[in-house]
Amino acid sequence: MNLLVIIIFVLTLMLVLSKRTVALINGFMLQSFCLFVLALTRAVWAKDSELYVVAALILLLKVGLIPYFLRWMVKKIKIDDNLGLSINPMLSLVIAVLLSFFSYLFAERIMGLQNKPDVAAFSVSLSVILIGIFIMVFRMKAVAQVIGLLVIENGSFLTAVALCGSIPFFVEIAIFFDIFVFAIILGIFIFRINKLFTHIDIDKLKTLRG
Amino acid sequence: MELLVVLGLPVALALIPLVIKEIRKIAVYHTAGYFVLMIFSLVLAGRLTGRSISYRDFFYADALSGFFVLLISLVSFIASLYSVNYIGEDVRDNIISNRKARLYYLLFDMFVFTMFFSTVVDNLGIIWVSIEMTTLTSAFLVGFYNKKESVEAAWKYIIICSVGIALALFGTILFYYTASLNAGVHSLNWTEISAVSAKLNPNVLKIAFLFILVGFGTKAGLAPMHTWLPDAHSQAVTPVSALLSGVLLKTALYAILRYMIIVNKCIGPEFTGNLLVFLGLISLVVAAVFIIVQKDIKRLLAYSSIEHIGIIAVGIGFGTWLGYYGALLHMFNHAVTKSLMFFGAGNIIKKYRSHNIRQITGVLQSMPLTGFMLLIGVFALSGSPPFSIFLSEIMVLIAGFTGKSFAACFIFLACIAVIFAGLIFHFSGLLFGKKPAAMQVFVEPMSNKILFIFLGIIMVYFGLAIPEYFNNILKASINILQGM
Repeated sequence: MNLLVIIIFVLTLMLVLSKRTVALINGFMLQSFCLFVLALTRAVWAKDSELYVVAALILLLKVGLIPYFLRWMVKKIKIDDNLGLSINPMLSLVIAVLLSFFSYLFAERIMGLQNKPDVAAFSVSLSVILIGIFIMVFRMKAVAQVIGLLVIENGSFLTAVALCGSIPFFVEIAIFFDIFVFAIILGIFIFRINKLFTHIDIDKLKTLRG
Repeated sequence: MELLVVLGLPVALALIPLVIKEIRKIAVYHTAGYFVLMIFSLVLAGRLTGRSISYRDFFYADALSGFFVLLISLVSFIASLYSVNYIGEDVRDNIISNRKARLYYLLFDMFVFTMFFSTVVDNLGIIWVSIEMTTLTSAFLVGFYNKKESVEAAWKYIIICSVGIALALFGTILFYYTASLNAGVHSLNWTEISAVSAKLNPNVLKIAFLFILVGFGTKAGLAPMHTWLPDAHSQAVTPVSALLSGVLLKTALYAILRYMIIVNKCIGPEFTGNLLVFLGLISLVVAAVFIIVQKDIKRLLAYSSIEHIGIIAVGIGFGTWLGYYGALLHMFNHAVTKSLMFFGAGNIIKKYRSHNIRQITGVLQSMPLTGFMLLIGVFALSGSPPFSIFLSEIMVLIAGFTGKSFAACFIFLACIAVIFAGLIFHFSGLLFGKKPAAMQVFVEPMSNKILFIFLGIIMVYFGLAIPEYFNNILKASINILQGM
């Protein structure tokens, strides 16, 4: 449990360091895989059949279909592999560490969590969310924004699994369905942007102002 | 059972464009369908004043849901009535193909369905899912014309709203955390959590509400999270602009209200109230600044939506009975008036082929009915008597003054005054003056005439008196808001 949370944290920091789109997709996939293992161990430990299904869905959607779809899309529209970093990797890493320190303070002081594993789990999940937002804001390719959002969602799941055990079953199913639809619709829009603008650099989308 | 009708009818209507090919027929069936649904919702909302419906722990509707269902069905009806001519002309002028027009109706129904769905389910997690689904279905309607601007607007819309909604998911999980840990409720059902709200952990609840407010507030168009709104509203197909502005923003507010009721029961109304007044006032200020400098007519109306969402948030934030009453009434009035304005603007854009306010002159000459309705509409929208918005704004103000929030009321009044001046300035340039010499006088089609007269009557009538039936719906909704 603790080990997995730490691995997820390290993987999230690696996401911040990656300069290439494919690396970002791979990082997301590994992070989701850890989430799958976490949900699976929880399921075995709590003998909870619903959690097995949740774990299977994580494996199917977030480790399987969505990264596959994103890779296929990157190949199909032949974008150059550079992510368009507006903050260099080292500075990004420093910011990410600061964000996670903030999450730690938040978990301990404001949430008033008592035992150490809970604090660790909560602060890691909050920092995953914050780092997801960071990736969305400071990486300029449309694909990076999609991944940033999926990372934020991973962070929310981590909170749910680590803090509450799990949230009601049909809510989880609905959320998975939603994420899946979301990834596909964003994929469609990336194709459209690429067709109309011949690039997917978000910082160059500037017609609508004021 | 009643809820199945409300949810089933949009689904049934969505099947029509798959079977029938002729756009005119599809449009007429849709208008008829949504008219029936509006009447049905009116009856349903009246019946929900006395009792709540729940079905298998999944669906749940009380007076507050009834009010929102009524609001959504009203705007869907007028938007579908306006679509008859709008989409018909687009097809005739070869702007969109027949296939695409059918797709429009399919997406329209799905969009309306997801909005209905989010107001009649019990589970807070499912509300979250359905609000995210409203973003996804309406994104295609924003990017419908597939031009550079509209695709850009749709992209911003999905990304910004999804980040917001992801934060709301985090808030929802925190709610579940305190419900399961402190109160022993292992579900996200609103009815169950609100029954044990006194036992919840106040600290966690406060943080959770912050995330909820920022998250759903993004979707509701509260500043400073409003940046997607002017783009999406201005680029969407015009009937959909009315839906976005008239009810989508309020559906997101509905989610916030559900959480607010629980938080208020636990820690009292000050915390949520102050936050809502704060965000509402920021929205008013932002709207005032951008309305003055605006050049694009639909963006102007979009910023005006931010203003009105701000007024509603301030009204709810004041937290008194009158504040709630004013806010709920304002939701209704804004939906009616803003739809009228968007339809007028849509007609103008079709005729003049321009969004730019400064290039459009003489609308009163070239399109007499549209021009006249826009003229009274702009006075109504900026809150002049005897129109309905004046009434609800004054209620919110009185609630503020009796609650001794003088600073808030001062900012509120200053912004309203600036916005009044801005709107009148922009629209007088557009309505008066000479029409371009080559332009023919526009004869309004029948559907538009009916629509404008229908909206005009509601706008004036609700400014003079509130029907007893409607009054009861509002009163019962306020009881729910006050946790009674």
